[in-house]
Amino acid sequence: METFELLLHGFSVALQPTNLMWALVGSVLGTAIGILPGIGPALTIALLLPVTTALAPTSAFIMFAGILYGAMYGGSTTSILLNTPGEAGSMMTALEGNKMARAGRGAAALATAAIGSFVAGTIATLALTFAAPAVAELAFYFKPTDYFAITALAFCSVAVVMGTSRTRGFVSLFLGIAIGVIGIDTMTGQPRLTFGNMQLLRGIALTVVLVSLFAVGEILYVASRYRTTPGVMAPIKGQLWMTKQDFARSWKPWLRGTAIGFPMGALPGSGSEIPTMLSYTLERKLTKYPEEFGKGAIEGVAGPEAANNAAAAGILVPLLTLGLPTSATAAVLLAAFQNYGLQPGPFLFTSNPALIWGLIASLYVGNVMLLVLNLPLVGIWVQLLRIPRPQLYAGILVFAMIGVWGLAGSWVDLTIMLVVGLAGYVMRVYDFPIAPVLIGLILGPMAETQLRTALAAGQGNPLVLVSTPLSAIFITLAVLLLALPILLKRLRANA
Amino acid sequence: MSTDERNTTEGGSQAAAPASPKPYWIGIGLMAMGAVWLYNAFGLPQGARYAAVGPGLFVTIAGAGLLILGAILVLQIWRGESFEAQDAEDADGSNKMDKRAFLTALVAVALPIATMGPLGMPFTATLSFVLVANAFGSRRWWLDLICGAILACAAWFLFNQLGLQLGRFFPPLGV
Repeated sequence: METFELLLHGFSVALQPTNLMWALVGSVLGTAIGILPGIGPALTIALLLPVTTALAPTSAFIMFAGILYGAMYGGSTTSILLNTPGEAGSMMTALEGNKMARAGRGAAALATAAIGSFVAGTIATLALTFAAPAVAELAFYFKPTDYFAITALAFCSVAVVMGTSRTRGFVSLFLGIAIGVIGIDTMTGQPRLTFGNMQLLRGIALTVVLVSLFAVGEILYVASRYRTTPGVMAPIKGQLWMTKQDFARSWKPWLRGTAIGFPMGALPGSGSEIPTMLSYTLERKLTKYPEEFGKGAIEGVAGPEAANNAAAAGILVPLLTLGLPTSATAAVLLAAFQNYGLQPGPFLFTSNPALIWGLIASLYVGNVMLLVLNLPLVGIWVQLLRIPRPQLYAGILVFAMIGVWGLAGSWVDLTIMLVVGLAGYVMRVYDFPIAPVLIGLILGPMAETQLRTALAAGQGNPLVLVSTPLSAIFITLAVLLLALPILLKRLRANA
Repeated sequence: MSTDERNTTEGGSQAAAPASPKPYWIGIGLMAMGAVWLYNAFGLPQGARYAAVGPGLFVTIAGAGLLILGAILVLQIWRGESFEAQDAEDADGSNKMDKRAFLTALVAVALPIATMGPLGMPFTATLSFVLVANAFGSRRWWLDLICGAILACAAWFLFNQLGLQLGRFFPPLGV
C-alpha cells in the first residue's frame, strides 16, 4: 500500500512542532475571517502571499490549508447566529440554521454544523488521499493538447455556471484573460500591452487584482449601500447541545452532503454554492419531518455544512494533480505555488512528496484542531462580531494597501488597485461574478502556453487540438456546455 | 452626511431602486477595451518562426472576445436585461447609492497613489483608515486617527520584520 506509506510520511511532516503551529495559526485565522464580514479565505491567503518569502513552502501551505478549512467552519457560525452568510456556500445553512437559533436551538445547530464539517472534512480528505495519486498518475500521460482542452473546459464551465448569465460570466472571464496577457511574453520575450511602462513588463500580479476586486471593490460597494440596521445575534448561552434525536437525524445528511460536496468541489465552476444547494434540496426531499423545513430542520444545516467542507477538499484534487484551480481560493493557492517556483501537477507528487503529503496529512490534523476550536470556543469567536464595522472595513483597506505596496513598492500597482477596485465595485452593482476574473487571469497564461506548444508540435494545424481522445472529449464537453442551453431554448421554442 | 440622512436612505430601500436601468456604458467600455487589445495584437507577430502561433494570437483572442461580449451586452441591455445589485454581508443591494460615502471611500483608495511614496506607509494608512471609517458613518475622527495610527504603525513594524519591503517609516524626516 504505497499511498498509506506516503501518508504516514506526510504525518511525520505535519506533526512536526513548527508545522503544527502553522496549522494552528491557519485554523485560528481561517475561523476568524470566516466569521468576519468583508474578508474571505482567498483574500486572506493573497494578503499573506508576500510574507511567505520567509517561510518554507510546506509550512506555508499547511497554514493556507488551515485558512481554507477554517473559513468553512467560521462561515457557518455567522449564518446560524446572525443570518448573514459570509460566503456563498453558507447561504443554505442560514436558511434553517438561523430559524433553529431563533427557536432557542442555536447550540444544537452550531454543533451539527461543526461536527458535520469535521466528519465531511475528514472523509473528503480521505477521498483526496486516494483520488489525488490516481489522478496524478493519469495526468502523467497528458499532452499539451490535453491540458489545453482541460483549461478550455474549465473556462467554459466557470463562465457558464458562475453568476446570473452566461454573457456576464464570460465578460468576467475575458477580463481576466485580457489582464493576463499584459507583460513580457514568456515564450518570445515580446512585451505585450505594456504601453511603454517598464513596471508593466512583469505583468499584473494576481495578488493585486484579487486584493482590489475582493477588498477594495467590497469596501467601495458596502460603503455605498451600507446596511445600517445591524443584525440581531441569537443567544446561545446555557442551551441544550445536540440531543440523541438530533444525532440520529444528522448523521445521514452529513454523509450524503459529503458524497455530493467532494466530487462537485473537484469540478470547475461549481464552487461550494451548488453542492450546498443540492444537498439542501436532497435533504428536504428525504426528510421524515418535511413540516419542519423552513422552520428550523436540523437536516437542512447538517447536509449543506457537510457538503460545504467536502467541496473545500474537492477543489484540492484538480489543483494538486493538474494545477487546475476551480475557485478563487484555489487560484490564489496556485499563485502561492508559483511564488515558490513550484508547478502543481503529477510531477510535484514525485519531486516533492514531503510537501504534497505533508499538506494532505495536515488537513486531517487541521480538521481535529478546528473541531476543538469551534465546538467549545464558539462563544469566544462570536465576540469578533463586536468589532464596529467602520473600523473593521478601514482595517481591511490598510491590509489591502500593505499587500499591494509590499509586492514591489510601486505606485503603478496602487493605481491598478484603484482602477480594478472600481471595476470590482461596478461588477457588484451590475451583478457580474468575480471569481471568473481570477480564473482567467491565472489560467489564461497556462492555456496560452499549452495552446502554443500543442500547435507548434502539430505544425500549426488546429486539428491537433482534438487529436487525442481526451482532448476531443474535453473540447466536445466545452462546446456542449456553451451550446446546450441555446439549443434547448430553440427546441422548446419550436415545440 | 448626518445620521438623519442615513435613515432616509434606508427608508428609501423599501421601493427597491433599480440600478441605472440601461447601463450601455459597460458594454461600450468592454468594446473599447477589446479594441485596444486588438490594436496592440496587430503590432505583435501572430506567428513566430518555429511555433505556428506567436505572442499575438492570445491577445487577439482576448481582444476579440471582449469586443464581441461588449456588443452582446449592449444588445441584451437594449432588449431589457435587468441588472440587480448583489447583496453582501453588510450591504443591501436594494439600498440607494450613498454618493458621499462612496466618494469618501474612493478618496481613501486613491490617496496612496500620491502619498505612499513621499510620505510613507504608516502616514498614508492612518489617513485612509480615518477616511474609510468616516465613509462608514464613524464620527469620532480623533479616535479613528489614534486607532488607525496604532494599526498602521504596528502593521509596518510587523510586516517589515517578516521581510516585506514597505519603505521608510516617514520619508520626509528620513526615518
